[in-house]
Amino acid sequence: MNKTLLGYVPNQSPIYAIHPFVKLYFLLVVSLFPLFIADPVWNILLMAVIVILMWYSRVNMRTLRIYVPIAISMGTIILISYTVLGGTHPEYSLIFQPLGINIYWERIRDAIVVYFRILPMIFTMVFFLSTSRERDMIVAMRSVKVPFVITYVFAMALRAAGMVLEDFQIVRQAEQARGFDTTGKSIGYKIRKYVMYMIPLFALSLRRSEEFTNALIARGYAFTGEASKVKRADYILTHYPFKTYDFILIALISLFFVTLLVLRYGFGFFSVDQSLLINFLRSLLVR
Amino acid sequence: MPAVIEIHNYSWQYLNTDTPALKEINLQVEEGVFLGIIGPNGSGKTSLAYSLNGLIPGQYHGIKHGTVTVLGKEVEQYGRGELQQQVGVVFSDPEAQFTAMTVEDELVFGMENLGMTIPEIRERLEWVTELAQLGPLLTKPPYEISGGQKQRVALAAVLAMTPRIMVLDEPTSMLDPISRKRVFDVLQELKKEQNNTIIVIEHSLENLIPLADRMVLLSGGSLILEEETHAFFQNSDLLLEHGITPPGAVLFFQKLVRDGLYQGLLPLTVKEAAKNIEELFIREQGDKA
Repeated sequence: MNKTLLGYVPNQSPIYAIHPFVKLYFLLVVSLFPLFIADPVWNILLMAVIVILMWYSRVNMRTLRIYVPIAISMGTIILISYTVLGGTHPEYSLIFQPLGINIYWERIRDAIVVYFRILPMIFTMVFFLSTSRERDMIVAMRSVKVPFVITYVFAMALRAAGMVLEDFQIVRQAEQARGFDTTGKSIGYKIRKYVMYMIPLFALSLRRSEEFTNALIARGYAFTGEASKVKRADYILTHYPFKTYDFILIALISLFFVTLLVLRYGFGFFSVDQSLLINFLRSLLVR
Repeated sequence: MPAVIEIHNYSWQYLNTDTPALKEINLQVEEGVFLGIIGPNGSGKTSLAYSLNGLIPGQYHGIKHGTVTVLGKEVEQYGRGELQQQVGVVFSDPEAQFTAMTVEDELVFGMENLGMTIPEIRERLEWVTELAQLGPLLTKPPYEISGGQKQRVALAAVLAMTPRIMVLDEPTSMLDPISRKRVFDVLQELKKEQNNTIIVIEHSLENLIPLADRMVLLSGGSLILEEETHAFFQNSDLLLEHGITPPGAVLFFQKLVRDGLYQGLLPLTVKEAAKNIEELFIREQGDKA
């Protein structure tokens, strides 16, 4: 397993044979699927498919545990927003009234639908980050002729994020070496003391940006393109030729998306009223 | 040999500072020379390096007097990117010089900026990869390699642009002794293979001395001494006066001179010192006999 700035990727994986653009295309298009699917059952199926793809790609499932707190806290926030903070709706079916707060079935249903729309999007993103290195993202963008300046600014942002993280570790170790320890202290105390990290980190970032600029100029780079006044070759792309199966995969992803749209708007599939799960929950909660 | 760098009465003062960083510098560097620049902290070494690459006055505000001419043209007269094709700079912080997401991307970045073709880039990439021994690192991201490896990448990235002049500003100041030696090994290879003019600002004298043809001492922004390397270190009192400790061999033989036990050129390396001591013994035994 290799660490990236945004997670971990397997050492070896069959998905590495696929062009980075296909992975990015999968992320961008499949993330849209849940927007057209209201029925949570279909979204759960989509998540299952993504988990199978992760398993096939040899993603270490244990590393996915870091996303569990995000999923739980997000679900809790959505549920509270829709129910406790959902307002008064006399036209809805009231099912509980704890502490005088009206909890309606329709608001719970909407919370479930929204939650199961967001979860597959997160799964798709996690799948992408667990199978793509930073370079893949750059290559994916450059291979569809995104201007070099944009891809380079994106790469620099990733690089800068990595440097800030490394500097943060250095500053934290330096503070700890001088006996600074927030273990067992309140969150308020920790937040107040974070200033001790922020000031040197800010100063370091300013120095780094100056050195980074000098390094770019020393490499003959100018955002204006004046440096060479000739066409810029993209050597890295020569390592990533599109293969036949890349085109087939792009076509399949597109086909799935079009089919989804036709079924949704042509035949009324994936609506919440047809959902087995929603209807089952309704029968349990609403009398 | 023609001079590739000519500096005449050059002074530079950063904006909002009281004293000039460089004062009345006069220096000529001939083609193919390996020049070492030493001096205490704050002596103006980095400002001089930046002046050769156009970073001063291009990126910094200040007051300039005199001229800095590189390959017959004053640095300000070069168009953006032109001077960088001729003068490559390697900085001291390996972290901040890594501008791409893999070693290979970093190595080809400068070449792409110069508008080279794919076959040219491939050829030069192979050359610098072998020279700096970076083969196994090509696909690695910056956070997976050590500081020493990053510095070799920075050096190789500049080399790939094949500048006629290379300026290295304390390239090993943040490295451990082994990484330091590896960087100098690359420079040694370069000196052997190419006819580049190499200017190295360095505190690590034991690595610099065997490679340097000439040496310069800067102190307080002024050029104090400029000599051929052997002649330079014969002025060990002057070096000590300016906070530079000469190599152990020089100090040892200087003591022998003071004690009247040795006359002649002070050796710069342990190897030279050992040879001189051997000769001393042979002479002494000859005298006794």
